[in-house]
Amino acid sequence: MTALAQQLLLGVLLGGLYGLAAAGLSLVFGVLRVLNVAHGELIMLGGYGAFWLFDLFGLDPFLSLLVVMPLAGALGGLLYAGLFAYVVRLGEEPRIRTSLLVGFGLALCLHALAVRLFTADERAITTTYAGRGIPLGAIVLPIGRLVSLAVAVLLILLLDAFLQRTRWGQAIRAAAEDWEAAALQGIDVRRAYTLAFAIGTALAGAAGVLVATGYSVSPAIGLEWTLKALIVVVLAGLGSALGTFAGGVVLGCAEALSAALFGGAYREVVGLLLFFCVLVARPQGFFGRP
Amino acid sequence: MLEVWQLDAAYGELRALAEVSVRVEPGEIVALVGSNGAGKTTLLRSIAGLTRPRAGRIRWRNEDLGHLPPHKVVERGVAMVPEGRRLFGHMTVEENLGLGAFTRRARGERSASLARVYEIFPRLAERRRQRAGALSGGEQQMVAIGRALMTRPALLMLDEPSLGLAPRVVEALLEVLATIHQTGVAVFLVEQNVRAALGLAHRGYLLAHGRVVGEGSGAGLLGDPEVRRAYLGPLALER
Amino acid sequence: MAPLVVRREDWLNLGVVFFLAVALAQSWNVIGGLAGQVNLGHAAFFGLGALVARQLWAAGTPIAAAMTAGAAVATTAGLALGLAAFRLRGAYFAIGTLALAEVLRLFVANNLSQVSTLPAAAIAGYQLGVRYYTAAGLALGTTLAVGWLAASRLGLAMEAVREDEEAAEASGVGGFQVKLAALACSTALVGLAGGVFAFYQISYYPQHPFNPTWTFDAVLITFIGGVGTIHGPVLGAMLFVLLRDYLAVRWADLHVLVFGALFVAIVLLLPGGLVEVGQRLRGRPGVAGRGRVVGRASSGSST
Repeated sequence: MTALAQQLLLGVLLGGLYGLAAAGLSLVFGVLRVLNVAHGELIMLGGYGAFWLFDLFGLDPFLSLLVVMPLAGALGGLLYAGLFAYVVRLGEEPRIRTSLLVGFGLALCLHALAVRLFTADERAITTTYAGRGIPLGAIVLPIGRLVSLAVAVLLILLLDAFLQRTRWGQAIRAAAEDWEAAALQGIDVRRAYTLAFAIGTALAGAAGVLVATGYSVSPAIGLEWTLKALIVVVLAGLGSALGTFAGGVVLGCAEALSAALFGGAYREVVGLLLFFCVLVARPQGFFGRP
Repeated sequence: MLEVWQLDAAYGELRALAEVSVRVEPGEIVALVGSNGAGKTTLLRSIAGLTRPRAGRIRWRNEDLGHLPPHKVVERGVAMVPEGRRLFGHMTVEENLGLGAFTRRARGERSASLARVYEIFPRLAERRRQRAGALSGGEQQMVAIGRALMTRPALLMLDEPSLGLAPRVVEALLEVLATIHQTGVAVFLVEQNVRAALGLAHRGYLLAHGRVVGEGSGAGLLGDPEVRRAYLGPLALER
Repeated sequence: MAPLVVRREDWLNLGVVFFLAVALAQSWNVIGGLAGQVNLGHAAFFGLGALVARQLWAAGTPIAAAMTAGAAVATTAGLALGLAAFRLRGAYFAIGTLALAEVLRLFVANNLSQVSTLPAAAIAGYQLGVRYYTAAGLALGTTLAVGWLAASRLGLAMEAVREDEEAAEASGVGGFQVKLAALACSTALVGLAGGVFAFYQISYYPQHPFNPTWTFDAVLITFIGGVGTIHGPVLGAMLFVLLRDYLAVRWADLHVLVFGALFVAIVLLLPGGLVEVGQRLRGRPGVAGRGRVVGRASSGSST
């Protein structure tokens, strides 16, 4: 029983990261209708950023968020300008498809670059507090991952507040719903898109930092995390940062349960099958766009 | 003030506008009437910057609008209320209106603009925290017009505002437009409802198959038997 | 700097790799190019073909029968996938198939985690030449199949579905049936390719042919060569293998970077791929109908 509780706890902790990872993808897809399947690779790069900052400068990973996120955001802006700005000018169906292909090519490039620069080895950040845990009855709360969850929650709340309360956040939501009507209010839609993409990438970078901290990073995690993010977006639907986060936690728990019941080897399978079933149950694709 | 000169627009192979020339002077209410598919929406979209014309010129206060993106057109004082209202359904009335004051120029006078909108549309003040998508057609039209007013335009363009509204609501709408006009905003009204539009306007244009086929004063056009027959139906001749 | 191809054996191995690449790409071309459905689960059928062929062959079945069985199993799986997944359109179909293929790979990885090696007798009697000609036949066969399909009535129907499925349905083309037929052909061909792989490769992990990299390579090659065309995937495979072989000497994996960048450039700028490049150089206008998997912005689009 305690083993299950422990597994579930770890599932929740990991699920928070899934939620954060998905939030960036959800924002970009919801606003730009662009499916950036290189999202996982951006997470991977964020993880490497944190790793190298730690390895070379001894910078604590939670602090390196302050460096990685803006850099990731800048990278996002560049990627948008260079690649996806063209894609958003297409009509809806070709847009999603072309963005899939472009994202696919981008993912391969980033993956190959990472392998070349960092080798295929797994890297992990081992801070002094990394291994420690707080005992709570029979289960242990790993400190590093707990703080990661807290950071993820914080970022999601900040994202939500940004989208709901700030001028540009509302502009982004308006552009997501009806870009022409948004433009008619004086909103520079291209800037809104760039901002949304940059924020999405920054969130990916943040997720990467947390992944490197609590787990490990290697070029291979790119595809893995893209799939996770996609699964959560499909489960949770678009339109709510909090909803996406909850979806991530649900996936984390589902995986933990599946690992407890069927063995760790099939951990990934439950998410993928759930993903496919939900996708098919809604033939229009993702949960109906509000 | 607004001068459209020999405008040509097309969607792929389909020619939507051919050599269209219209103008709106300060302080005028100008109507553009025509049936479905005449090209009315295309004209407004071209002026607003949503569609790029193939040929011709659009000048606003002596500046060429031709290649400006929509948000820059708004910055210069030309606002459009699009066909079908196109509100941000998930946001509240107040949020919708607030977004209208997005440009720097409009932002500065945001509270004043908002107060004025609620004055013109008291019903919106009551509903300010409701989701825009939950409002009735007439109320949504109010929000759409209010939202455009929030941009502090010198020219307000409306694309078929009476569509889907009951006659009583349309009358109220026309009164509102007259009120707005009195505050110094020029109005460019595009309509299928010929009687309503020409009844309100100082001047009018007739658009058919993408071409301007008539021009004159509002009353003049309305009284013209040809116009009445073409647009108001056989019964209209009886009056 | 010359590639390390100095013996006849190396040429033959390179040849097999090239022919397999052609087969993988051409089989994907049927579903992704002709029918316009981006199937990212291609490797699953490659893997199934290899798995079944290998098991049967190891149990004593003659290799030809084993390969055929592999292709048959792959086709059946393809039909099953089509039934389940063709409700999804466009990109959703792509990621849905990717997910299912991953599920299959995980199953195989967990249940068949041991290396599959040919028995000693088979290794002793291993003739590379036979493999070479088998692979060559496969490449030729898949290319001819694509050519034949493209010119057939089914191919025409596929093109209609690719361009605009709703319009095709309106003119009486059964979208679902056409897509299913395309998928069946595609999976049959790649299943066969899997069998050839099982025949050729002396030792590998059973999950290896299920790896999504095989799918990605097929997609890359097809697009770069000219998606929807007949000789596009051949050109693409040539470039791919040469580049990989050449770059592998100095920089492992960098060929993926080059190809990825080339792929993005082609998707965005030159959807006809190398074939279109060739046509433009020869003075002919760009490919109009063929090769347009990715929709272009029409001049009337509202952006």
